Amino acid sequence: MIATPDANARWRRMFLILGGILVAYALLAPLTSLEAAQSANVPLLADRLWFRIATYIAMFIVLASAWNIIGGIAGYAAFGNVAFFGIGAYTTGMLIAKAKWPFLAALPLAPVVAAAFAAVVGLPLLRLRGHYFAVASLGVGVAVGELVQNIDYAGQPVFGGATGLFLPIYSIENRGLFFFYLMVLAAALAVAVTWLVLRSRFGYGLIAIRENEEAAAVIGVNTTAYKVAAFTLAAALTGLTGGIFSQWNVFINQDNTFPIEYNVQMILMALLGGTGTVFGPAAGAVLLQLLIQFLGGTLPISFEIPFVSENARPIVAQVILGVLLVVVVLFVPRGVIEFFGGRARFSLAYLRRSLRETSL
Amino acid sequence: MADFVQLVVLGLLAGGIYVAVGVGFGLVWGVLNIVNLTHGALVIVGGYITWMLFAGLHLDPFLSLPVDAVALFLLGYTLQRGVINRIIRAPLLFTFLLTFGLNLVIVNTLLLLFGSDFRSVTPAYSGQGLELGTIVIPYVPLTALGVAIMLAVVLGLVLNRTRIGLAINAIASDRDAAQLVGIDLRHLYAMTYGIGAACAGVAGGLIAMIQAITPTAGEPYTLQAFVVVILGGLGRVSATVAGGLLFGLVEAFGQSIPGSGSVFANAIAFGLMVIVLVTRPQGLMGRLR
Repeated sequence: MIATPDANARWRRMFLILGGILVAYALLAPLTSLEAAQSANVPLLADRLWFRIATYIAMFIVLASAWNIIGGIAGYAAFGNVAFFGIGAYTTGMLIAKAKWPFLAALPLAPVVAAAFAAVVGLPLLRLRGHYFAVASLGVGVAVGELVQNIDYAGQPVFGGATGLFLPIYSIENRGLFFFYLMVLAAALAVAVTWLVLRSRFGYGLIAIRENEEAAAVIGVNTTAYKVAAFTLAAALTGLTGGIFSQWNVFINQDNTFPIEYNVQMILMALLGGTGTVFGPAAGAVLLQLLIQFLGGTLPISFEIPFVSENARPIVAQVILGVLLVVVVLFVPRGVIEFFGGRARFSLAYLRRSLRETSL
Repeated sequence: MADFVQLVVLGLLAGGIYVAVGVGFGLVWGVLNIVNLTHGALVIVGGYITWMLFAGLHLDPFLSLPVDAVALFLLGYTLQRGVINRIIRAPLLFTFLLTFGLNLVIVNTLLLLFGSDFRSVTPAYSGQGLELGTIVIPYVPLTALGVAIMLAVVLGLVLNRTRIGLAINAIASDRDAAQLVGIDLRHLYAMTYGIGAACAGVAGGLIAMIQAITPTAGEPYTLQAFVVVILGGLGRVSATVAGGLLFGLVEAFGQSIPGSGSVFANAIAFGLMVIVLVTRPQGLMGRLR
């Protein structure tokens, strides 16, 4: 079955229209929770729980899109991006909690500090390739998390230690809505940055590095500068979200700002949606985050897993996630956006072909 | 001076565990070109088998090590043959994600089966040690070090003296040529992974005797195995032994820095790894391939 250009165009149009409607709904529905809307008898389309989940989705759109810049476009399998998220969160968190800065003044420093850190560790790390880079970056992610939790000065934990860091609640009306739209802005920024990168000389250089680094160097791409710039850009976006997260969540510690799972989730999202594309990581983020919340039982539409007690549920959800990861990696190496974008038909033949291409 | 010797002793003893954890990981990485993120989980599976045999049948933990090896070999063979073989030609990110997914499944299955309680294996002789003046050498880690070295020696002999080992070496140097001379790649890939998993199982049995384990305790071992293999150099068992012992020493001295604890030891280990990677990518004892 070969997809004809006509069928391609039709698929793409349908996908765009459907996606547009969904995005518009997701952006506007939370507004119905405003008091003005309630007093005007507009039906409540999204309660607090929904836009908390939507905020998480927007957050992961940034994380996946940022990973896509270094992992998808430049082809460097970064496995420690969560370090930038944590650094951003702790930068903003420390400035607000300890130095008493206002949130909006502390937030811009989150991407700056994360990017500076990325530039410093990126110089040695990005000389490594393949597995070496992947695990070295994973090591940096783990090490930074542990350092942040355990650094003491004069017997006092500098960054709140194991108890974590509590931030004063940001006083603004409709706080949930505020952070939702802030996170959506960050997501839009991340997608826009990806779009710009892919259309710039910089982006072409990164793609050249991904396809063949030696050849890229030969045709005049300053590979070190390009790689470090891509890493720094990804770190800045990731750090920004971390900064927003810290004030939104009010409480930060090692577990919620340096979780290793985030590293894997952001990569999986980008893979699901299609690496190296503009909207792929965002689409993957929406799909996977909804699925994770659904399996975890936090969505209002929920289900019972048979034979599983309430306590074991999160564990079973993790098992399902692991199996899903295996299945996705085995069968859909080119990402779901290939189907929805109309570049390939989802069929048994496609699954067989992609299995045959990669198997021994 | 005595403190220094004691630190060296503790470092070498800790290094024994890292040798055991590292050899299987290095084998799988060197031959199959897979950074096996499932390795830590396999280690813990081995630990739980030893714990079950000890708690249920009162079997001496050292006697349960062969059981660990056989069980993990079968598990590893099946995983590679059934799942990992299917994406072996995909970019490295895919094997990374796949092994992470398998890791999630194994760890959480263990959580369902055993809960998150700490389990420890404490035979009558645990906690005792050899006293040489002011220096104490605990028996269990000492024997564990011996077992780890033995494991490495046996693995080295298997790789260099047996038909299977030669076939594995052939795959490592040129997959396609190995296939041309009639080596069954699917079987041998699975054998290699199985042997790696068996080493992980033995390592897990040793770890269960030295510290309490939980299903989630495996992840640090994956990272440490990676550092150990990098330090020594990919492609030789003896290099991994050197890397493991060095890592143990670095950790012991890192922990002895006043007011640090295990944290800086980790940071130092990773720092050392990055320095080695950047300045001597083939590892301290490795050969460039």
